Amino acid sequence: MGSRIRENVQHFFECFCEVVPPSDNKEAWIIQQYPYTYKDEEVLKSVSKFAYPYKFENTVIQHYSFVLTDIESKWTFGFCRHDPRSQTAIVVLSYLPWHQAFYKFLDNIAVLMHSRDTESLNEFLSAVYKAKLTGPGKKFVVPFNKGENVFSVDCPHPIAHQLPSIPENRNLTEYYNAVDANNMMIIFASMLYERRIIFTSKRLTRLSACVQSANDLLYPMIWQHIFIPVLPMTFSDYLLAPMPFLIGVPDEVLKNVNKCDVGEVVILDADNNTIETPFDDVHNLPSEVVASLKKQLKNRSALLGDGVSRAFLRALVQLIGGYRDALSFEDKANFDEEKFIETRPSSLQPFLKEMLQLQIFRQFIEDRLNILGAGLGFTDQFETEVSVYSEKSSSKLKQQYKEWTSTMKKEGTAFFRNVKDKANPAVKSAVKTVKDGGKGMKSAYKGLRSKLKDNQNPRQFENGLKSSLDKPRSAPNSPTNKRRPMTFRRETPISLTGSAVERPYSPLSPMSHTLSPDSADHSQTASPSLDIPKIDLMNEMKDILKLRLDTPPIDRSLKPVRSLENFKNSSPMSSPERWIFPSRSPNPPLTSPPTRLFLSTQKSQDTQNLLQSPDDVFSSPPVPPRPSKTRDLFGTAPFIIGGGHNENGHPVFLVANQHTVDVVRLSPPTNSPRRKKDEETEDLIRLDSSSSDIDDFDPLKSNSANSLSNNAFLQNFHLPSSHNQVPMSVTNPLYNYENHLTSPNGTLPSGTITPRNPDRETVELLQEYGLDFQSFSSSKFDPFVSNRDNAGKVTSQNQWTKFE
Amino acid sequence: MARDYDHLFKLLIIGDSGVGKSSLLLRFADNTFSGSYITTIGVDFKIRTVNIDGQRIKLQIWDTAGQERFRTITSTYYRGTHGVIVVYDVTNGESFANVKRWLLEIEQNCDVVNKVLVGNKNDCPDRKVVLTEDAERFARTLNIILFETSAKDNLNVEEMFLCVTRLVLKSKSTGEQRKEKVLLAEVTRRKRKQDR
Repeated sequence: MGSRIRENVQHFFECFCEVVPPSDNKEAWIIQQYPYTYKDEEVLKSVSKFAYPYKFENTVIQHYSFVLTDIESKWTFGFCRHDPRSQTAIVVLSYLPWHQAFYKFLDNIAVLMHSRDTESLNEFLSAVYKAKLTGPGKKFVVPFNKGENVFSVDCPHPIAHQLPSIPENRNLTEYYNAVDANNMMIIFASMLYERRIIFTSKRLTRLSACVQSANDLLYPMIWQHIFIPVLPMTFSDYLLAPMPFLIGVPDEVLKNVNKCDVGEVVILDADNNTIETPFDDVHNLPSEVVASLKKQLKNRSALLGDGVSRAFLRALVQLIGGYRDALSFEDKANFDEEKFIETRPSSLQPFLKEMLQLQIFRQFIEDRLNILGAGLGFTDQFETEVSVYSEKSSSKLKQQYKEWTSTMKKEGTAFFRNVKDKANPAVKSAVKTVKDGGKGMKSAYKGLRSKLKDNQNPRQFENGLKSSLDKPRSAPNSPTNKRRPMTFRRETPISLTGSAVERPYSPLSPMSHTLSPDSADHSQTASPSLDIPKIDLMNEMKDILKLRLDTPPIDRSLKPVRSLENFKNSSPMSSPERWIFPSRSPNPPLTSPPTRLFLSTQKSQDTQNLLQSPDDVFSSPPVPPRPSKTRDLFGTAPFIIGGGHNENGHPVFLVANQHTVDVVRLSPPTNSPRRKKDEETEDLIRLDSSSSDIDDFDPLKSNSANSLSNNAFLQNFHLPSSHNQVPMSVTNPLYNYENHLTSPNGTLPSGTITPRNPDRETVELLQEYGLDFQSFSSSKFDPFVSNRDNAGKVTSQNQWTKFE
Repeated sequence: MARDYDHLFKLLIIGDSGVGKSSLLLRFADNTFSGSYITTIGVDFKIRTVNIDGQRIKLQIWDTAGQERFRTITSTYYRGTHGVIVVYDVTNGESFANVKRWLLEIEQNCDVVNKVLVGNKNDCPDRKVVLTEDAERFARTLNIILFETSAKDNLNVEEMFLCVTRLVLKSKSTGEQRKEKVLLAEVTRRKRKQDR
């Protein structure tokens, strides 16, 4: 089996050691251990080396992990804690890769050690050691101290059932914070070429986390070669190994290595986010895979949660998901290499041929065959994504689609590739058409749509979109690829009154994801702010100022705006001062909101380009906190929760806000979809989603001083540094959320800003750069002004019909 | 920096665990007393400098843990190496079967890898199950040299390591000769072009 994690683990941990640091004439040594019966001398000898991989200043509390590999190549994890208040390091060896749980365990041990009551420590260790492990997803609870205290940790699901997510997974969070998307892709590609790869950092925590995460992002494959997340100084010669490896080398250790001796090697410096590589592996990956991966990783707001993991998983689905087509079943399951290559798109074939020569790929295939041979079904995340991905090509549609694409191919249009890459149905074809519109793509769009129509259940819409469940309208590389169809449907069902509707689409952003009922508490306080250190404001601003009118409108639609990244495309206007208030009519009439209905759709012809509008609706500018203490599950900004097709086969989206779910039709443009200045007032998604009956959320009540607020904003915007507002704490973005969790209602101490969730990170960021929006509150800035405007316009234009 | 060798060769030793790879290495290596880390970090290597035809050759021989889990060992594993020592246990038929599969795989996918086939534990005729003739026949089909060794009794170990070293040395010099030839041909062709 390819897994390097042991199965049938009996104990939470195998051994606890306290290690004395090395002195001038003595190596590090173990002063005590538990259980005393643990006798693996080789392992114990190396524990002290890994606990002090080099001479370092013990100035901050550090958690890191190292990995020992046994003769069967199975891994033993060593979790290590250094504490400046302590003379010694503590280490726990375990077969379980549960980083968060063991860091907590180490903290617990540290507390007991500092209590100077050795008996209680012994009792605690023995209680935990003897406790029976619980299954994944459950809590491992151990009472100790005669039942007076309880040690409790979550037993995580294996990666196959739960992808690492940010910020819950400390390793991935660290990796993501330290290394930008581009470099993550280079490492990913280097691993797909089974290179010799070195990670380096001055911080052991970062080092081990990055190495672990790089391997996690390879799922469903597993690194089969030398894997040493932290390399002690005494082992530095092992960098000469000619075989593929992934080794974390502390900066101090790397300094002592002669790089010439090491030879061709990829080096990631995780402290400086730089990579040295003699190869061009990213370039050698199939371009469509790289493109869609890039695109997914670009949208920062979608990367919280398991967005990063899923982006890489989808890249692998694209590459190797087709292995199923090469399976045959005679007396046992077989994998036919040639068939595997032949059945893949020609653009992938050259790379896949090389992939056959990868140990990680071969082991992956072996494992799948073993699972099949054992008569077990696949339930893991990879297969789920494969199903979603292949769904589009597995039906009758596939054939028609193929025919169509081949015609298109002959015509040699660029459109072919786009559509091919973008997988599925009308939504995307419409989207693509919009994107490419004005380039003579109309006919292509029509052609595809008419074909797609045949395949659709015309009653889909009346059935509350239910039937579209059968054909998930999602694809790994679709333009709106933040969908998590499977998990989302399961986790956060929303019942739409009057119809047992499930959403065929999961939400388009982690915002809606994290706002699922059971995680609402976290989401209000926790998720944003993680990428603060990574946003290059100057670049973002440059983009904004440049006003990239040619940006395809779809890129910024359909997602709630959570970071500056999204703002940069949001306004077509030529005046940079107005970037934050896109598409607002100068003085929108303030009308009372329309009656709330659960489902509404637009029957009349829509000449306006609705596609372009969503982010106008969603992007409330950086906002000061809402005074209300009420917490609403979904926030007040509408967001997309799903989509499908109405009875005419037109793509529609479900847009939810606090109390309503609206159906919004997406309409392909009849002519150039590009935004022009004079169109801007029409570029709105029609939402009759205002919440007239909610007292604490009434945008109409808030104020009428939007022009004032606008001015106030601009002043701030242009005079950033003159404010001495203390920014919200961003010193430790990693664990920000923990602090925030301490304020149960999601508010922070006065003096700081608590904008609503989607915008907080933007605010923090701007504050970090000296831009502060505090004065908005004082000038009665209305965060929801754009919503209100939209709503107002909706009624004024009266284009919507509603039904229930 | 003055080097204490003329060539540095990196070799791999592959084979199931239990066939005696570590013993062979220990037998061969200079530093007999340095510990083995194969059980702690999954990789180990031994060094020895040998003298062949007046040239000092430094050999690093690398071993990794758990190779028997691989149905095939893919070419990426051999990419950076000069030669491969493929070891089976003459008292263990399965270890020979694995080795055969791997060698066929190397044959198919790796351009030029110098390799020798080694049947270790050849010190107890009663327990021997992989017959010399069978192994010999197989080696011949792949055009490689077979050694039957005993690390325990120090039989044939030295010969085997020296043989693989010579192979590498030879392929290296012919490789260089070939390169020189190609270069020469290129130069003369260009010259002719110019002459015309």
